[in-house]
Amino acid sequence: MGERGSRGACPSPAGSMHILGIVISFCVFLLGGLLILRGVVSGLIRLFPLFYSYIIYCFCGFIGMYLIYWLDREVYPSAYWIYYLVSILVEFTILVEISDQVFRPFPAIRNLGRVITIVITVALGLVYILPAILESTHRRPALLSFALRASVTKAIILAILFYMARHYGSQLGRNLGGIMLGFSILVAINIAIMASAKAFNSVLIAPIFWFMLPLASVLCVLVWTIYLWELAPMPSMSAISPTAGRDSEAVALELTRFNSELSKILHK
Amino acid sequence: MIMLIYAAIAIGFLILVLGLFRKTRSNKADECMPDNHSAPNTGNGRWLHLSERIFDPTDARWLAEELGFPKLAHTLMLGRKRLAIRWLEALRTSFDDLVRTPDFSPSEAPEGSSVGSWQMLWLTFRFKISVSYALLVVKLFGPYHRLIPSFSWVPFSRRSERSFRRPALVNSRSSH
Repeated sequence: MGERGSRGACPSPAGSMHILGIVISFCVFLLGGLLILRGVVSGLIRLFPLFYSYIIYCFCGFIGMYLIYWLDREVYPSAYWIYYLVSILVEFTILVEISDQVFRPFPAIRNLGRVITIVITVALGLVYILPAILESTHRRPALLSFALRASVTKAIILAILFYMARHYGSQLGRNLGGIMLGFSILVAINIAIMASAKAFNSVLIAPIFWFMLPLASVLCVLVWTIYLWELAPMPSMSAISPTAGRDSEAVALELTRFNSELSKILHK
Repeated sequence: MIMLIYAAIAIGFLILVLGLFRKTRSNKADECMPDNHSAPNTGNGRWLHLSERIFDPTDARWLAEELGFPKLAHTLMLGRKRLAIRWLEALRTSFDDLVRTPDFSPSEAPEGSSVGSWQMLWLTFRFKISVSYALLVVKLFGPYHRLIPSFSWVPFSRRSERSFRRPALVNSRSSH
């Protein structure tokens, strides 16, 4: 396993853990399929297109990876790593979806979430993630560092989005709250297990990639399936009386007026 | 050691998220409603007139230079400084209430006006930066200093203001 790992091959433990890993992965597959099905039936797929595109990507990726695994074991390791690296990046689409949805009811700051996500991703990508990849001499430490630091970046963005949602009084609702909670669980477990993998290196890498990562995914997809079982209305849109709200153009005019009043007074 | 730090980060993050998740979901709708008692209506002419009085240095100058009461002028300036800070804070509160106002237009509308959304975000940032800077200057130097940047040199902000004003003007003309 050590030699395979050092060449960058996908590690897989032997014995009962191998079978257990496959069973857990199939649970993720089934829950993912159920989630997509419920999304189509309840109409949630139209409300959260980026999130469901990620789920469909994972669903298709799972089928593709197991097809490669059963058909061509030689190609499987490199295919696995490529799929894993792309998945780390594709997970950012969930953050984009969350950031878009959190501030959707507020026209003045509708794009604030996206700005927060992009700025933090670019900033931490340059000063935190990129150096870890460049400094690593071997492929596996570089990959683990990348996975770990990408997860920490996602955690920071999620925490800030949660805080901003609370600061602006945004009522998340059952569906969006569920997406955020499930993804937070996945990110937190990823941080813990990637840190363990870095610390214990070759000892833990096989159970982590074969067993622990699917286990984290099953927890996350389970939360998503529960919270996205049916369409729940956004509380911020239903609980507040319509007289308290305004349309976007009225808010835009008010924003302009505030700015011009402030400028007028300050330029005296 | 590093593993422990990351494990602590993971646990801390999960606790924080669960706490914020519970609080955000259990918030009553009234909590996010603006408190109209604390924030004045900027459309109110009297309130704007008050700001003109607060930031006008004529009274203090008259006391100090023409009547020869520099101490009294200084006391007046300190009082005005307190009022200016309260006025700017009230303006900021009123603005925050506006930002927290939910949109009740149909859900298709936001997608179509994404450029407008970016402009509104820029206006929000611009106001936040301006009012924070104004508060800093008033706290440090008093209400009579002209150290506030206008941002009028930014072409994007001028364009955005014009584009928002145009429909308002059209509406006002059509109403006459």
